[in-house]
Amino acid sequence: MKAVGARLPRYDGVAHVTGRTQYVDDVRVPNMLWAKALRSPVDHAAIKKLDVKKAAAMKGVHAVVTWEDVPRLVYGHLEALGIPGDEPLLAKDEVRYKAQPIALVAAEDEETAQLAVEAIQIDFDERPALFDVRKAADPDAPQAHHWGNWYPHFEAEMDVRQIRKGDIDRAFDQADTIVSGVYRPAAIEQLPLETQTALAVPEPSGRMTIYSCTQALYFSMGVVAAHLEWPLNKLKFVGGTVGGGFGGKVDTATETLSALAALKSGRPVKWRWTREEEFLCSSTRAPWHIEIADAVTKDGWILGRRMLTLHDSGAYSRFSPYGVTKHSFHHTGAYTIPNLHFDGYCVYTNRVPTTAMRGFGVTSVSFSTELHVSRIAEVLGIDPFELRLKNANRIGDTSPNGIAYSDPSTVSTILSIADAIGHELPADSRTMTRDPRAGELLPKHLVEQVGKVDH
Amino acid sequence: MALHTGRGISAIEYPTGMNQNGDPSQAWIKIKPDGRVDVFSGTSDIGNGSKTIQSQIAADTLGVPYEWITYDNSNTDSSPLCTGTFASRATFVAGNAVLKAAANAKQKLLEIAGKELEIAPEDLEIIDGEVIAKGSPQKKISVPDVAAAATWTYGELITGTGAQLNPYAAIVDPETGRVDSPPHAAISYAACAAEVEVDDETGEVRVEHLWQCFDVGRAINPTLVEGQIQGGALMGLGLAVLEECYPYYPSVEHRGGEFGSYFVPGIKDLPKIDTIILENPSADGPYGAKGISEMANNPQPPAIATAVFDAIGVWVTELPITPERVLRALERKEQGPRREGKWTIFDDDLSVRTVAHEKSRFRFPVGA
Repeated sequence: MKAVGARLPRYDGVAHVTGRTQYVDDVRVPNMLWAKALRSPVDHAAIKKLDVKKAAAMKGVHAVVTWEDVPRLVYGHLEALGIPGDEPLLAKDEVRYKAQPIALVAAEDEETAQLAVEAIQIDFDERPALFDVRKAADPDAPQAHHWGNWYPHFEAEMDVRQIRKGDIDRAFDQADTIVSGVYRPAAIEQLPLETQTALAVPEPSGRMTIYSCTQALYFSMGVVAAHLEWPLNKLKFVGGTVGGGFGGKVDTATETLSALAALKSGRPVKWRWTREEEFLCSSTRAPWHIEIADAVTKDGWILGRRMLTLHDSGAYSRFSPYGVTKHSFHHTGAYTIPNLHFDGYCVYTNRVPTTAMRGFGVTSVSFSTELHVSRIAEVLGIDPFELRLKNANRIGDTSPNGIAYSDPSTVSTILSIADAIGHELPADSRTMTRDPRAGELLPKHLVEQVGKVDH
Repeated sequence: MALHTGRGISAIEYPTGMNQNGDPSQAWIKIKPDGRVDVFSGTSDIGNGSKTIQSQIAADTLGVPYEWITYDNSNTDSSPLCTGTFASRATFVAGNAVLKAAANAKQKLLEIAGKELEIAPEDLEIIDGEVIAKGSPQKKISVPDVAAAATWTYGELITGTGAQLNPYAAIVDPETGRVDSPPHAAISYAACAAEVEVDDETGEVRVEHLWQCFDVGRAINPTLVEGQIQGGALMGLGLAVLEECYPYYPSVEHRGGEFGSYFVPGIKDLPKIDTIILENPSADGPYGAKGISEMANNPQPPAIATAVFDAIGVWVTELPITPERVLRALERKEQGPRREGKWTIFDDDLSVRTVAHEKSRFRFPVGA
C-alpha cells in the first residue's frame, strides 16, 4: 500500500486529543526555579534608574538578570540575511514599547518571583510615542527608533523596498480609467493555546539543555548561542512538538533569558508566559497600510499598478524587513501586470513589535489587491471572473522581479470556483487555459513582457 | 431592517519556501537490525502534521510500510538542521530532505540485498517491505532479512542522509527589485468564493458559505491538507470579520488581555465550507507537493469584503469588518468614490494625502 496520497491519521493525533502529548510546561525537573519578567509599563521612555538590589536580596530569589548579564545584548534574528540587529534582549537605557522586558527574576516559585519583580526600583523619563505609520515621516513625528522612523538597511542601504518594471507613466497615460483605494488589514493575535514557554537546565557537563516551544529548533538554538557567545555543541534544544505556532514561535521569546537565569542561578529555570502576557506582550501579526492605483482599460486589462505600503513593524525590526520584501515580490497577486511602481517602507512605531504570522507579507497583499480588483470590476461593469481570467498569470508571464512563471494554476482554480458556485461564463472564458499567451490574450501592452510568442 | 445576501470571489498565489530561498533542511535515516526505520529530522510539528507527512514520504521512498517508520524530531543532538517550520516549507523543503535521505538509505539497502541475491542493485526494487528482482518477482528477500544481513553478516549500518537547499536568489538591482533566480521553491494557487449575510440594522456580517479551490501540487495526505485549508478558512474568517488587537488602531489603548475581550472564530461562526483540491504537481516537490499551509488564510478576507459590497453596496477596506465599520460605511453610502478626470478615487479619508503632513516622505498623489 502506498502511504503518499493515503488518508493516514495524524502521527501524534491520539496523544494530542487524549492529553498525553508532553509540551514544555509538562516537563518538571528537580530544583527548578520559576521566572517572571519586569516589563515596561510605558510606551516610550528613557530609563533613568534601574536598581535590582532589593529584589535580588529577597528570600527565595536566586537570580535577577538585567542587560548587564547578557554577553551579546543585541543580536538580529536575520543578520545572516543582511538585516542588522536593533533589539536588545533586555532594555538598557530606554524602553520603546509597553511590555518590553527589562529584567527577569528567577525564584523558588512564581509568586516570589512576581513579588521580587515588583520590588525592582525603576524610574522613567517618558517620551512622546508614535503610533500612526502614516504620520511617521511628518516633520514633527516623535522618533520611535534609533535608525529613524523606518528601516534604512535594504540592499545598497536604501530605506525603501522598491519594485520598478516597465513604463508606469506610459501605462497611466494609456489607461481609460484609473482606480485608487486604501486598504488596512489589522493586527491580530497569534493566540497559540500553548503560551511562550521555555525550561533551561544547566547540565553537570557544562552544557545547557533547553526545552523549547520554538517552530525552529536550530534557528532558536542559533539565537541563544549568539547572545551567550557559545558554540552550538554547548547547547541542546529539546522540542519539535509545539502547542500551536503561527509564526510567533519563531521569535525565540523565552529561551535566551531562561538560559541566562539558569546560568546565573546555577539551577534549572522555567519561564512560562501567562495568558495575559501572551495577549499583551507577544508579537502580533502586523497591521499594514496599503494604497493602490491601477491603470486599466475599459475592456478590463490592468496596464499598470502604483502601490505604497507602510508596514507597521512596531518598536523593532524582528522579521519585518523580510516581510516587506516578500510583500513587494507578490504585490501583483495572481495576475500579470507589466508596468509597476512599488514603494514599501518598514515603519517603526511604539507598539509591541510585530512579527511573522501565517502568510507573512502576502496576506496583506491578497486582501488589498484582490479587493481592489473586485472594485475595478465593479467600476468597469465587467464580470469579476472574466476580469480575473483575462489578467491571470499564464506560463511565460513574468513576476514583479522578472521571473517567468512555469506552472501557474490561477485559471484552473478560478474556473473550479465558477463551476462550484454555478457562475456561468462565456465560452472564451470557460475554455481558457494556462498556456502561453497568444491571440486576443496577448494584447500589444503585454508583448514586451512575454516576448516573442509563436502563434 | 433587512438581511442582505452577497457573494464575492478572490484568486491568490503564494510561494513555497523562504522568500529568496537559501533555507536548508537536512535529514538522516538509520535502519534497525529488523528492518524498521528511524527518521531524524529537525522539523518542528506546529500542528501542521509534518511528522505524518515526512513519515509518509520516507515510507514510500524506501518502499516499506508506513507503520515501520519511527519519526524523531525531538532534539538537536540527534536531528540535523531544519531552518524551521514557517514559510510553507515543511512539506516541500524538509520533505525533500527526507526523500533524499530515504533514497540514499534505499541505495545502501539494495547493495546489501544485491549481495544476498547475487543480483545487481539496479535490477532490484523494494515493494511493501520486500526487495524484488525486476522482472523476476520470485527472486526476493525481505527488508528485515537485508537489515539483519547488514548487521550480522556484513558488519554494516544502513543509513541515509539528505539535504535540500534551494539556492539564494539575490536582489541584483535594488532600484527595480530584479533577482538573479527564482526567489521561491514553488508557487501555489487558490481561488475562493464567499457568501455572506449582512444585517443593515446591527451591521453584523455572517459568513454563510466558503468555496475554496487550492492547487496543492500533490496531496500527500488529503485529510491533513483539507484540515489546513479548512482551519485556514476559519483564521481568514477571523481576519475578515472578528479579530483585532487594537480596537482603536493606531491607538494602543483598550487592548484586550483575555479571551473574553478578543473574538476568535468559534464553532458558532463556522460557515459551510466546500473544499476542492487541485493537483498540479510541482516539478521539484516531493511527489509533486507544494506548500499551502500559510496561504490557507489568505483568500477569504477579500472574498468576504467583496461579498459585503455585493450585499449592501459599501466597500469596507479596513479589517476586521465589524458592525461599527459596516454601519459607518452605510451612513456614508451615498457619498461614493470621488471622480477626477479618468480617476475613480476611493478612501480619501484613509490616505496619507489626508492624514500625513504635506512635507511627509510618504506620498500617494491621485487625480488628474
